Amino acid sequence: MELQDSFYIKAEYIETASGNKVSKQSVLCGSQNIVLNGKSIIHSECIIRGDLANVRIGRHCVISSRTVVRPPFKKFSKGVAFFPLHIGDHVFIDEDCIVNAAQVGSYVHIGKNCVIGRRCVLKDCCAIADNTYLAPETVVPPFTVVSGNPGAVSGELPECTQELMVDVTRGYYQHFLPIQEAK
Amino acid sequence: MAAKLELQRVQILCSCNARSPITQLYFCKHCLKIRCGKCVSHEVDSHYCPNCLENMPSAEAKSKKNRCGNCLDCPSCQHTLSHRATSVAVPDPRDPTKTTTKKAYYLACGLCRWSSRDAGMPDKDSASGPWLEPENAGARRITDLSDYYHQLAKQEKMEREHKKFTRRRAYFRLQEKYLSPGAPGRRRSSALLSSFTGLALKDEQATIIPVEPAVASEEVDALPNKILTQPVVLEKICTIRQRLQHPDHHCVSVEQMYPRHKHLLIKRSQRCRECEHNLSKPEFNPSSIKFKIQLVAIQHIPDVRIFLVPNLHYGKESIVTLIISNPNEKRMSIRFDGSNPKECEDTHATAQVIPPEDELMLGPKDPTAEFDDSTADIQYDAYNDNTEYVQFRKAHKLGVLFKVIPQRATDNVVVVFTLKYKYKNTAPALNSSQDETSSPAAVWLEHEVTVDIGPLVSE
Repeated sequence: MELQDSFYIKAEYIETASGNKVSKQSVLCGSQNIVLNGKSIIHSECIIRGDLANVRIGRHCVISSRTVVRPPFKKFSKGVAFFPLHIGDHVFIDEDCIVNAAQVGSYVHIGKNCVIGRRCVLKDCCAIADNTYLAPETVVPPFTVVSGNPGAVSGELPECTQELMVDVTRGYYQHFLPIQEAK
Repeated sequence: MAAKLELQRVQILCSCNARSPITQLYFCKHCLKIRCGKCVSHEVDSHYCPNCLENMPSAEAKSKKNRCGNCLDCPSCQHTLSHRATSVAVPDPRDPTKTTTKKAYYLACGLCRWSSRDAGMPDKDSASGPWLEPENAGARRITDLSDYYHQLAKQEKMEREHKKFTRRRAYFRLQEKYLSPGAPGRRRSSALLSSFTGLALKDEQATIIPVEPAVASEEVDALPNKILTQPVVLEKICTIRQRLQHPDHHCVSVEQMYPRHKHLLIKRSQRCRECEHNLSKPEFNPSSIKFKIQLVAIQHIPDVRIFLVPNLHYGKESIVTLIISNPNEKRMSIRFDGSNPKECEDTHATAQVIPPEDELMLGPKDPTAEFDDSTADIQYDAYNDNTEYVQFRKAHKLGVLFKVIPQRATDNVVVVFTLKYKYKNTAPALNSSQDETSSPAAVWLEHEVTVDIGPLVSE
């Protein structure tokens, strides 16, 4: 099934010079610490906590509605320290997720309603099934599907995952079209 | 991600007659055939730990029972355990009245808060090094039995080889028996002779040490009284899953749980069973997603996707748009062959499909198109598309119109057609360059495509 066109009201999104589309209904705290590398979409009611640490999001990423992206912290003997959060290219994060990972590789799909615990490392080409709770400091190796609570490896992805993810994220961006608000 | 694209609705018939979506298929460019996971041979390339992502040679993996030496799983929730450092007060060796602090390390689970102190495991003084593991009471017996089995297997193998050898080489054996050493026969069969002497030596060694067989007993220990008298504390009893994690010491209560070493994962490579060429070979590094060889179907054969489906009515003709996309950077010609479920019996199609009769041309795929903002001015007129069949054309994608007539009042509408495409091997094999011309000839290939278009609209 080819992706269908989805429309947004032009006034509700800000489009940057590099093609990022950010909803005005989202909350980007500490926006000077947030880097979007281009053609990424951030939907309404998202929260990105750039005030805690740097957040870098690659090209062609999609962050769906009501998702929270929050850099992870680690407790030390003298208080806590926050670590920067890197998200690779062609990453698709579905609705209602909480992402506390230290690193999300490229070509990753995170399903709906997931919690990615503190300082998790998601390698390239992996997928998190819907409703997964990933315990803190979990490592997800490439070409694996993780599901359950706590998240455990439950399957594997085909060799062409990279092509599929590029296809989906690129297609999503191309089919995400503006309409003028009807007055 | 395959779910988002609903790729399982378009299934392709593999050369082994199994249907799978295009993502699961390989394309052997040596046999020019489609292969699926069921008709290739899988080989284990390397073992690696999913937590520390370190490679392990297969011999080491075998000796460690396919488990990582460093990473441990929580016995309670199976999450990976982490090392925690803490300082404990110990009496000063020089002055017993004073206390000094010392670093101590223990294991803790970040999810369920289990710690190695719960299990009564002593803390460690250094961060590295192995943890004390409980001894398996049956370990000795298991090694004895497995050694015995190995001996038996070895003997059986030797006997089998011996038989094979003697039957085939009966003459040499006789010759060896009757000729004196140093005779010409010796030279001829010196290798053979040495192999025989090796065998003979092994025969002598292979006196199998018998193992005491297990004896079944009818007498079972009576239940301890406390089972009947003490109340059950459910939170102290292991779940079945926790127990099965430890088949060797079968913990009953939570105090007996010990961490397990993490299971290894494998990297696999696939090989065509016919020509024995590699179809997919991942790089050695466990965290790499690159491939040394990758002949996945999605990069070689045209992809079919459902685009627009109108309301489908039983017995009425509707026009469905499918998108055919070209995986190559060269143009590709395609043709279709439709089928009618009424005509052929052995199909699971539920609708007749009338595909375009003409040969269609797919545009080349341009990987740089993403970075080029001026993509709009591509000349599509040069293709001379017939609007009767072609709805639209965009880069390497072509929207093709198919006429579909549902033939069954129930079920989903499923159509089956044959997709033919002109395949040109752009990277020919090195050894074929001498006897063939430099540019390989294009060949027409075909495969059967099954498309589940969707449900009928109830009248």
